[in-house]
Amino acid sequence: MLPRDPAGTTDRVSRDRSFKVGFADPDAVSDPRTKALIQNLEARTDATATIVDSTGEALLKHLADGNVDLAIGRFRSDSPWQTDVAFGPALTTHGRSADALELKAAMRNGENRWIMKVERASRAVAEPGAND
Amino acid sequence: MPAELEDAMRKAVHLEYWNLFWSSTIIIAMGLVLGQSQTMKTAWIEDTLGLVPPVMFLLAARVEGKARPSKRFPFGFHRVNGLGFFVAAVALAAVGAILLYDAVSALVAAEHPSVASIFVFGHEIWLGWLMIAAQLYSLVPPMIIGRKELPLAKALNDKLLHTDALMNKANWLTGAAGLFGVVGLGVGWWWADSLAAAVISLDIINDGIKALRSATAELVDGAPRALSGPDLSEDAQALCDRIRTEFPGSTVRLRETGRLIHVEVHDHHPPEESRHPRSYWPGDSDRSWRIAQVSFIPPTDDDHCATKQGK
Repeated sequence: MLPRDPAGTTDRVSRDRSFKVGFADPDAVSDPRTKALIQNLEARTDATATIVDSTGEALLKHLADGNVDLAIGRFRSDSPWQTDVAFGPALTTHGRSADALELKAAMRNGENRWIMKVERASRAVAEPGAND
Repeated sequence: MPAELEDAMRKAVHLEYWNLFWSSTIIIAMGLVLGQSQTMKTAWIEDTLGLVPPVMFLLAARVEGKARPSKRFPFGFHRVNGLGFFVAAVALAAVGAILLYDAVSALVAAEHPSVASIFVFGHEIWLGWLMIAAQLYSLVPPMIIGRKELPLAKALNDKLLHTDALMNKANWLTGAAGLFGVVGLGVGWWWADSLAAAVISLDIINDGIKALRSATAELVDGAPRALSGPDLSEDAQALCDRIRTEFPGSTVRLRETGRLIHVEVHDHHPPEESRHPRSYWPGDSDRSWRIAQVSFIPPTDDDHCATKQGK
């Protein structure tokens, strides 16, 4: 079944029943959509989220290197990280137009099966109209 | 434009309008599902570039057919086709080089392209499936149009049209390589995407360089080149041999302006009887329209000139 992950993230999560999550900014932790996304993903993967102690650019670097499976935070729609990591759909949007900040998950580039799984979970818990 | 080519030219113009239409549908279909895939980006740019030869052909055909020699352009516009050929060749070679750089950079940096999912009619679907569908669709029109263009390019001796036929061949090969790249991405081979893009780029560069060599040869008055590459044209060589045999001791120079050949016979007087240029054509008379002009440059009598100047 396509797609598969080059680094096997989905298989590892399924095998270890665990995935690593970090928060790119402190505000993301308290947002109810963040909690909903993690719970939805835990239910879909039958795995438990392990929170890692890393934030900001260091977290995104860990994500790009494959040390973290998911980074959740508020990012601009034109974030400079968009070529280094894969962003999922917005869970909710704060602000308007170009300055808007989107609360969303970021995944390691190329892990397409894992990305699809997180996208599905994100759409399920997203605020209506967050991606319009 | 020789009268006997008008029918073939009309068909070629008609075919090129269809080519533009079908190519546009491919560009739209591919553009909608590009994603982060290097293969898709390369194939899409190649498909977009594929518009250059038909557009140049249609422009050249219009100018060649309608414009008349004027005070500013006393030799007419036979070379417009060659100019279009040159523009198409430069575009091919330059973009091929840029795409190759992109693909190799992505390979060296071990970039893992992400292909996400999208919602279509209420269903979540992996974008890769749509990429595969777009690539499959992109195989069909260029395969059919390219095959139809080749006999017309030969009949018209039109290098621009021939380049377009090659471009169409490259486009469906690109589609096949692109399928490998996207399917490879799907099965987790992150390198397949960039590798397929690099192979496609090399093919584009190869076509571009071949076309550039031929186009440049025409612009600097080189001997007529074959339709399919930079080698010397066989019929022009036969013409050269025929004229050399008829006018021994002469130096024969041939050059090409678009589809037409111009001949200069140096160090020989013209024949006494008036002859149509086409009478020199050595092969099939149906192709004798290729000769536009035969000029004679008699031997220079240096002593005579010197004497006249001395007086």
